[in-house]
Amino acid sequence: MNPSRGKAEAARRLRDTIAAQFGRSLHIRTLDTGSCAVCEQEIRLLAAPHYDLQRLGFFFTPAPRHADLLLVTGPMIRAFDVAARKTYEAMPGPKVVVATGACALGGVYPKDPFVHGNVGEVLPVDVWIPGCPPSPLALLQGLGVAVGRLAERTPGLTFIAGPAADGGEA
Amino acid sequence: MTTVEPQAGTSEQLIRRLADLGGLEVLGGAETRGAITVRMLPETLEEATHVIAASADTRLADMFADDGGDAPTLRLIWALEEGYLVTETEIQGDQYPPLSDIAPAAFVEECEIYEQFGIRPATGKPLNRLMLPPHAGPDFPRLGHRPAEPLDEAHALHTVGGQAFEFPFGPVRQVGVESLYYGLVTSGEEVVDVYLFTWHKHRGVEWRLRGTTPGEGIFFAERAEGLSAVAVGWAFAAAAEAALGVAPPPAAARTRAVALELERLYNHAAAMAALCQATGLTVGQSAAEIALERLLRVNAAAFGHRYLFGVIEPGGTARAPDIAVLRRDLPAAYGELRRAANALLATNSFVDRLEACGSLTAEEARRLGLVGPVARATGLAVDARLNGRRPRSGSADGGPYAEHPLTVVTADGGDVFARFQVMLGEAAESVRLIGEFLDAGTGAGRTPLPEKGNGELGSGHGLGWAESSRGEVLAWVALDETGRITRARLRPGSVRNWRGFDDACRSQNVFTDIPIIEASFWLTAAGLAR
Amino acid sequence: MPLWFVRGLRRGVVTTRYPARRDDSAAWLPTPPAFRSRQLTREAADRMVAVCPSLALSRRDDILVFDVGACTACGWCAEAAPDVVTSSGEFELAATVRSALIKEIPIQGDEP
Repeated sequence: MNPSRGKAEAARRLRDTIAAQFGRSLHIRTLDTGSCAVCEQEIRLLAAPHYDLQRLGFFFTPAPRHADLLLVTGPMIRAFDVAARKTYEAMPGPKVVVATGACALGGVYPKDPFVHGNVGEVLPVDVWIPGCPPSPLALLQGLGVAVGRLAERTPGLTFIAGPAADGGEA
Repeated sequence: MTTVEPQAGTSEQLIRRLADLGGLEVLGGAETRGAITVRMLPETLEEATHVIAASADTRLADMFADDGGDAPTLRLIWALEEGYLVTETEIQGDQYPPLSDIAPAAFVEECEIYEQFGIRPATGKPLNRLMLPPHAGPDFPRLGHRPAEPLDEAHALHTVGGQAFEFPFGPVRQVGVESLYYGLVTSGEEVVDVYLFTWHKHRGVEWRLRGTTPGEGIFFAERAEGLSAVAVGWAFAAAAEAALGVAPPPAAARTRAVALELERLYNHAAAMAALCQATGLTVGQSAAEIALERLLRVNAAAFGHRYLFGVIEPGGTARAPDIAVLRRDLPAAYGELRRAANALLATNSFVDRLEACGSLTAEEARRLGLVGPVARATGLAVDARLNGRRPRSGSADGGPYAEHPLTVVTADGGDVFARFQVMLGEAAESVRLIGEFLDAGTGAGRTPLPEKGNGELGSGHGLGWAESSRGEVLAWVALDETGRITRARLRPGSVRNWRGFDDACRSQNVFTDIPIIEASFWLTAAGLAR
Repeated sequence: MPLWFVRGLRRGVVTTRYPARRDDSAAWLPTPPAFRSRQLTREAADRMVAVCPSLALSRRDDILVFDVGACTACGWCAEAAPDVVTSSGEFELAATVRSALIKEIPIQGDEP
């Protein structure tokens, strides 16, 4: 889903609005589209004492109606995509979708008759969090980026090492 | 039909009785390596199943089909006292003999076989839709060649009438849990029946494994049930190794066992946290989560991944544990878990909530072929680590648990509290075993798998197993002469034990008991649906 | 209940200060690879592309295309080309645009 420049600009303005509204308090609904169950365990640990997302103003909610952010795991199994859309549509706007884990981002499972392979095929994703699984720290960073409290680091990373490294890692 | 001398033990008597039935061929482990294989005609299958099921110390561990030849082959895997017995029967037509003795245990497998291969038991009883979604047409990928008649919107038999009504729950459920669809049948508060649909979690892992080499396939096998990555990976790798006639080096085998016990530890800590959450004891949940997080950090420091992905590879292990870190950090992390558990056991309101909740009897556990802490909490001493003790197929290697005997922890009562006690006992036993394995020496390393070109070893069938935190995992692999998988069967513990979930929920429980029972089983939807 | 209260006080606070402060536990996390361009040859690139189980690597002429989003940090590319691959150490990888996770690694190694 590659937005045109106009759409990208509108998306950025929407995110800024959301950041202004949600920067201090955000309710998160989780959605499993076919994960192996490990991403869910890391997400559960966000509420655990070591990470305690509530100290940052983030809260889990079981009700889509109360949620501002949809945290999605799994490769979007085709048989589930209707349930995924219904959960997304049950959330009132403004809302943010965060896809988390290599499966959700297009890794591990290619597009095939069982899975779409990528959450972005069915839902409009605002933030992508890599990892297998993304650790609770990576999830916290992703949530911070989603509400505009943390800057993204990825655009500045090259993943090139050695003497020619610039912004990557030696 | 030729008869080959079977292994010593009760299996010898069993094989003789089976041989007396006629119409079968006994292979002394030469066909499915890692087990005794018996090939039988369909006419003999029903009676043979009666004979096996009636023997003491047998348990149906799995049932699956394979479409290698002209007709599907139906395989039953039985756990005997000293190992596994595999029966193979080629099924012409679309029905196989009713195996009513085993039907309660094998219901999930019967549904799966019908969806994938189009063959069903001759009882004519209704089957559940299991892994195929409602819109799956004849073109939807299946493991077999024969398209099945689409199942009606069927669900498990239950009594609905009088005051009872049913309502669907899920698949999108409470925060941070997997998608899972329950049908609840209730008269108001009491649970009359629970049935599960899992087609929205079916990724087609077994379908995807076809055509891969074991070295490529381990990546997907680990992720079939990520919370049992070590156990499922080990079973898969062992199946490929058995098929190719190799065994990992002893130090690598002990490394596998260390990783497996670490996996058991963190899962039991997570189950404890889930039990506290389900009973509303937030302080206990936090205490258990602190222990869980510390255990996961031990995993990351020792093996490079919080959930121990990437440790096992066919032939051995890819990583060796950081022994210094394990010896230093594991006792403290386990101490955290132990102290939290002791505090919970001293909290009467918590213990009262667990007692007499979600009870299963030993007879039910045996009849349904349950495994893991769920079975052991009813008193059955079922543990796949015991099966590994005895060498199969003439190989000298009995596996890492052969030299390090373990105490199988059982309890009485079969309720949630008994399962909790079993998990605590096993956690202590795991820490002890890890210490022993480290003392005996661990390391990375692998026995190379035979290259293609050596036609004799390149192909074959193999059975592998491991005891995950939720119960016995089985894997069966068939390799062609290029060493690629033609059929991989993965049977995580969740497949067996979800079968017992509705029975456990039914015995005088109410809605609020369901999350407590679910936490005490600590299964996954991913493992069931794959 | 007093038991839990006392226990909790004695246990103390374990909560991370992240993101305000670094968290030391991050040092143990598996992270995606970084590639040494100067040692990367076409042949090594093709080996890594063939072995990646997660669709994260592909080659386009003299560019190794690395999809960080698809990477599971399994380490198989490092086994295939140990002199080329090192650990990036990066775990803060969230991106608001998917294409920001697609990295191009120039193939600058001398062919043998």
